[in-house]
Amino acid sequence: MNMARMVAVARKEWKETVRDRLFLLMAFLLPGLWIVVFGYGLVLDVEHVPFAVLDRDQSSSSRDYLYRFIDSRYFDFRKSVSDEREIDRLLGDTSIRMAIIVPERFEERLLAGRSVIVQTLLDGTFPLHADTTKGYVIAVNNSVTQELITDFLTRTRGLVPAEARRLTEPVSLETRYLYNEEVRSTWSIVPALIMFALMVASPLLTALGVVREKETGSIYNIYSSTASKAEFLVGKLAPYFAISTINVGVLWMIAVWLFRVPFKGNIAVFFTASMLFVLCSVGIGLVVSLLVRTQMAALLITIVIAMVPTLLFSGLLVPVSSLSPGAQVQAHLFPMMYYTDVVRGSFLKGLGWKSMWMDLFALAGFAVVLQLVAYGLFTKRPKT
Amino acid sequence: MIGKGGRVPEAVRLWTLRLFVLTRKELLQLRRDVPLLLFLLYSFSLSIYVSGAGISMQLNNASLLVHDGDHSESSRELIHRFRQPYFRFDGEVQDQKVGVRRLDQGTAMLLLDIPPRFHESIVGREPVSVQLLVDTTNAPQGLSAAAYASRIVGKFSFDLVASRLGGASDGGVQLPAVESAHRVWFNQEQNETWFQSISHILRMITLFAFLLPAAALVREKEHGTVEQLLVSPVTPLQIMLSKVLAMTLVIQAATAIAMATVLKPVFGVPVKGSAALFFVMTALYSFTTAGLGLFAATITRNQAQVGMVSLLVISPMLLLSGITTPFEAMPPWVQTLMALSPLRYFVDVTYGILLKGVGLELLWDSVLAMVFLGGTMFGLGMWRFRRQLQ
Repeated sequence: MNMARMVAVARKEWKETVRDRLFLLMAFLLPGLWIVVFGYGLVLDVEHVPFAVLDRDQSSSSRDYLYRFIDSRYFDFRKSVSDEREIDRLLGDTSIRMAIIVPERFEERLLAGRSVIVQTLLDGTFPLHADTTKGYVIAVNNSVTQELITDFLTRTRGLVPAEARRLTEPVSLETRYLYNEEVRSTWSIVPALIMFALMVASPLLTALGVVREKETGSIYNIYSSTASKAEFLVGKLAPYFAISTINVGVLWMIAVWLFRVPFKGNIAVFFTASMLFVLCSVGIGLVVSLLVRTQMAALLITIVIAMVPTLLFSGLLVPVSSLSPGAQVQAHLFPMMYYTDVVRGSFLKGLGWKSMWMDLFALAGFAVVLQLVAYGLFTKRPKT
Repeated sequence: MIGKGGRVPEAVRLWTLRLFVLTRKELLQLRRDVPLLLFLLYSFSLSIYVSGAGISMQLNNASLLVHDGDHSESSRELIHRFRQPYFRFDGEVQDQKVGVRRLDQGTAMLLLDIPPRFHESIVGREPVSVQLLVDTTNAPQGLSAAAYASRIVGKFSFDLVASRLGGASDGGVQLPAVESAHRVWFNQEQNETWFQSISHILRMITLFAFLLPAAALVREKEHGTVEQLLVSPVTPLQIMLSKVLAMTLVIQAATAIAMATVLKPVFGVPVKGSAALFFVMTALYSFTTAGLGLFAATITRNQAQVGMVSLLVISPMLLLSGITTPFEAMPPWVQTLMALSPLRYFVDVTYGILLKGVGLELLWDSVLAMVFLGGTMFGLGMWRFRRQLQ
């Protein structure tokens, strides 16, 4: 490898990038913009579920009961209806996601110490939301029931409220949240967004850099030049690697200073993993660019390859452990999962080399394999 | 009069013919890009299968460790209630520290700690509490697991109360209680496969509908072939429209393939509404999204730029339009911003037609919004493109 030739390729690439103002702006702007927009905007919690009520009892108890939903931040009260058919319509056009139907004789039965069944109608199109909403409703009903029983026992058996309460809750659950004590979804999403930002922008930068030359024919200059394969590839990658490295620093600062996500781990581990991951992501771009001929194909394939596994199989939204076995295999075939582990481990769990060497090892493996594949695919003697 | 009457249809015929020829040219060009076509096919078949079959955002198989300090009948009974599909019992640890280390490494998600004398306290009617440690690096999943756990312990506790009071009172247990009965509509089994596979189709349609026409238009500018088009008797409208038409056709075909090979036969997604309406709506959505793409193409000079601008637009569309996260929970500024995203409307339309079986009578507002957005973007793109050509 001749250093001077490699630097020459890198300089040419760098100039090309820098002179394309819009491109350069996007290369630096996108990752930072994403982490800010999605960090604030991407709310994973199921909250503000719009709902309607149908109160067939119209008593003070039923109103008290419904107020627990109306007051809750998990629900957004939209409407009180008097006919079940109206619920059908509201669910159909998605103006509500849930409806609660309080039966007749709600108050009467409860006062008599009997149970009542409250119907909830849920929109099941989004199974996760339906399920979470169901959980909220059950939680409300359970706490109402507990109060009712306590109240009932004090009335009918002459117990003191404190005593009755002891009787009604023999076993309780104390939950302690680890790593993200206040369970802020920002804290879990922002570190993973570093992964997202690096993964989605850098492969595209690289892929287009190479295919552009192929499509416009300027690659023939390289074919006929003295620069070797390795010199060309390294020189080509260098500017994009540099851009992404700067972005890692910027993203880290945004996460720590703007979002106040605690960084509990080892900074050296984080940056080592990030460098390896950047190598992987530019490597993916490079491999794609060597397989296709047109920029259009490069554009689509890189965006889809970068986007889909990053969103679905990286642990960003769905934990890898709850994927099906087939999807887990796919998750392990991309570097995103390992890097997400390292980022979350470094930020929230405070882990170091000892706990994460496997992930780092995997990332290094991906980086090496991708570069080797690119080296193997690139030829200065194209067939056509 | 007759002469004029004859000329107008002739002009229309010529106009349509030119549009047709240009559309055909786009399709031919696409057909010759084999890697791209193969990839398109993969995206609308295998990729949809993998995400539909593989992804579940609902809590399932959360790995649970137990530190049982009691080893009694009651503790076993409680542990036994943490079961599939939500929890997966992953063994017992002798020491809480060992359990915490497993949580650190991420090989377990929850640690249930049952104190010594658990059974004794229950029998002796002393209140007792069990502890649950939850890994909340993924906050929503952690919360969901905690909610299930508290439901299980709550039920366990309630059963104890019922049996105690039942034993004491004369005959049947009479306790006031609010019981929950749920009816889930449109997807009774809460089958997540349907949701995920439909979401994935939406993702793919969005990506291709935006990128294909955008790249096709900017390519002409980059290569200078747009100059050739300029001297030929075609108008900017025809140039843009032909690209939209060609790509919409391709996307329709791909969607039909996805529906016919994966969604219906493999996943059994019910098409409750009208399939024809769904395809008309897909065409409308492709047109609207293509409008956005073409506009992006008019403000950029080469494909590298258009790629970056697409990322700028597409990522928020995909993440914030309500296919990955609940739209209602999003902050107000996101909801306002997303009024500009055609996907936000198409989500309602798609789920409405496929799962809810509703028609235009309920979806008209979303349809109108898409028409309006598409028309505006297309118009703006036209205006810029025309100016650039002069």
